Amino acid sequence: MTRRIAAAAVLVPVWVVAGWLLWRSSLPAYHLPHLNEAALFSPHVLHRARRFSGGERLLWLAQTITQLVVLGLFALYGVRWTRESAAGPVGTGMLLGMIGFALVWAAELPFAVLDVWWRHHYGLSGSYVQATIGNWFALGVQFVLLCVALAIVMGLARVRRIGDRWWLLAAPVFVGLRILLAFVSPWLLGGSAFHARYVAQLERREQVHVPVRVLSGFSEPNAFATGLGGSRRVFLWRPILERPFTPRMDRFVLAHELGHLAHNHIWKSIGWYALFAFPLAFLIALATRRRGGMGVPEAVPLAIFVYVVLQLAALPLQNVVSRHFEAEADWSALRATHDPVAGRRLFRLFASQTLDDPNPPWWDYVFLENHPTLMQRIEMTRYYAAAQSP
Amino acid sequence: MDPHEHPVRLAVEDDLQRSRLTVFLRLILAIPHFIWFGLWSIAAFLASIVNWFATLVTGRPPSWLHRFLCAYIRYSVHLSAYLYLTANPYPGFFGTHGEYPVDVDLPSEPQLQTRWKTLVRIILAIPALVLGAVLGGGIGFWYTGGGRSGSRRNSSFSSGGFLAVVCAFLGWWASLFLGRMPRGLRDAGAYGVGYGAQVRAYALLITDRYPNTDPTALLESVQPPPLHPVRVVGDAHDLRRSRLTVFFRLPLLIPHLVWLYLWSIVALLVLILDWFATLARGRPPRAFHRFLSRFVRYELHLYAFGSLAANPFPGFTGAPGTYPLDLVLPEEPQRQNRWKTLFRLFLLVPAWLVGAALSYALFTCAFFTWFVALVTGSAPWGMRNLSAYALRYLAQTNAYFSLLTDRYPHASPLEGEEAEPEHVELEPAYT
Repeated sequence: MTRRIAAAAVLVPVWVVAGWLLWRSSLPAYHLPHLNEAALFSPHVLHRARRFSGGERLLWLAQTITQLVVLGLFALYGVRWTRESAAGPVGTGMLLGMIGFALVWAAELPFAVLDVWWRHHYGLSGSYVQATIGNWFALGVQFVLLCVALAIVMGLARVRRIGDRWWLLAAPVFVGLRILLAFVSPWLLGGSAFHARYVAQLERREQVHVPVRVLSGFSEPNAFATGLGGSRRVFLWRPILERPFTPRMDRFVLAHELGHLAHNHIWKSIGWYALFAFPLAFLIALATRRRGGMGVPEAVPLAIFVYVVLQLAALPLQNVVSRHFEAEADWSALRATHDPVAGRRLFRLFASQTLDDPNPPWWDYVFLENHPTLMQRIEMTRYYAAAQSP
Repeated sequence: MDPHEHPVRLAVEDDLQRSRLTVFLRLILAIPHFIWFGLWSIAAFLASIVNWFATLVTGRPPSWLHRFLCAYIRYSVHLSAYLYLTANPYPGFFGTHGEYPVDVDLPSEPQLQTRWKTLVRIILAIPALVLGAVLGGGIGFWYTGGGRSGSRRNSSFSSGGFLAVVCAFLGWWASLFLGRMPRGLRDAGAYGVGYGAQVRAYALLITDRYPNTDPTALLESVQPPPLHPVRVVGDAHDLRRSRLTVFFRLPLLIPHLVWLYLWSIVALLVLILDWFATLARGRPPRAFHRFLSRFVRYELHLYAFGSLAANPFPGFTGAPGTYPLDLVLPEEPQRQNRWKTLFRLFLLVPAWLVGAALSYALFTCAFFTWFVALVTGSAPWGMRNLSAYALRYLAQTNAYFSLLTDRYPHASPLEGEEAEPEHVELEPAYT
């Protein structure tokens, strides 16, 4: 017991210091001006965005509750499916894990269909085929990742010398895999080259020189930065380059994504992943100890339930970190473009194009928003404009 | 007759001997039969419509129609057997019972039939017709649809059955060279012909018993082949299937397919080294033999799970004795003929062709079993056994390819049997 307290006394400050180091950013100590959303958005846009987001929130809530109930029941009764396996302990664990995910998929299916209907109702894209059959096949990809994860965890837990301390080794392995995935994934995405006059100028200002690629086949405006070292890329989804988005807005979007790379957000997010991975793995090891530990398949249903609950519990903190990165990228874009007007127009357009609620309720903000709200982003452009004006 | 026995049974009394001349000219010699069969098919088509209405009203087909359609089915069996080289002599034109070495026993009298089954017979027959087309439904009349652009809409008679056609093609070459039909190919062809007869009897309302794909039941009159060193073992009566894992069978397979892909790369490299070593030493190195045995066994476990021939989720190691449908392989490396090793890839071509036909059968069975198992929670007996046959043949082909044995895959749908030791009359030493 004393050893544990001593270990905690060392590890908690280390965690906090590491978190503080990762939290540091180029954001100034700013105070956002309060703006009235009614002055920025038409009543029609506000009404539509709120109604749509309200429905989406309800669906998320229903889906999350369903997921927890299904996995809770699975944790209690899932062991009965061990008889459907002839795959040994690790293989049986994999089967149980896959069955758990499959049951969740089946339980969430009505919500997925409802979500497509809801999106169609508001004129947004969505495919029933993708939501049903497409996701059924996508389950297979999830299963592969799950099997790899369980093979690592269960394999380590079954080594006699490691046993219950598997989490100490598994967490670094998962971090390593995350790094590998972050490094490799940009090459798997493909896309076509993007050429615009402002690209070189922005790269110079952000001091980042990376390929910019355009991905087709998407119906919504979006962009993201990914990759590590030589694999760093910015990807723009085709719709953001088309009307009603203007080149000025695209320039702002690109500057935002380059800002992520300029401030090493990919590496930092991996750092945060590592900070979460250790306690998460430890808590799973702790929770499954009474079921014989992660070396036996009977522990897998409970492990999945605990994992999902902990993920949900960690979501607010993860969103805080994510919003911080996004705010820094916005600030970086403002400094690189000196164009707060473009940013403001872009964010206003998002409300009508993607039907994001400019000012969501607090619980939505805590659990669902991994970007600053549209109002916060617009307020930041105002703050920047005010700071620049003589 | 055993009430559980199917009323349509195949009788094979073929001695495997083939006349090279008639084999060579078989399609040409069959031309008069094609014409005759075409005419008879038109008549049978019209008779089947009348028969359908009559059976729907009276619950049993009229005797004269029953006799006519039985003769038609028997004639189609004789003709199919002749075309697929399952039998040697030139068949008669009237489908007379007992006149041909490959014959079919049909109910002598019209049977009482359930009316609702009669009403929807053509829909109920769809899975059997599809399987018949894969295995060897024999020749018969089919409706061939056509578009507006030039093609005609008509009913035509055609030969169907991928397995029987492949066996006939390979058997044609073998018969020309050897003067006899290889037994495995003959049995596989006969199996297709027999199943086709059951399908036709069901569709034409001779019986309302559904066609049975179980090879053992269909080829009751055929002598089992000798025991092959590579064979499938397991509890054939374990038909229970978990509905949940059946529903998610495809996604559950994906991690295994990724693993199989990775393992295949290594196995191929090992196989190349093994080939050189076996060529030099006349026997594969033990380490390679064991590694490839595991791989071939793993493939069988995986295919059995994927095709719903077995229920539990298989392991990733191909360990023996871990799966309900398991593969027996030679435990130790066997001495192998160097010529056979040198030309293994070329020798494999016929086995691959038969394997391809059986893969289609396996896929078709899996498709229909999926629906049945989802509803009833168990696999149909006949389809399970057909799947086991296909899996056995594919495993034998893989084992032959992987140099685990130099015994060629045996295409017979029947399980091999240990050859009985010859009975030797001992003469008394002293009188």
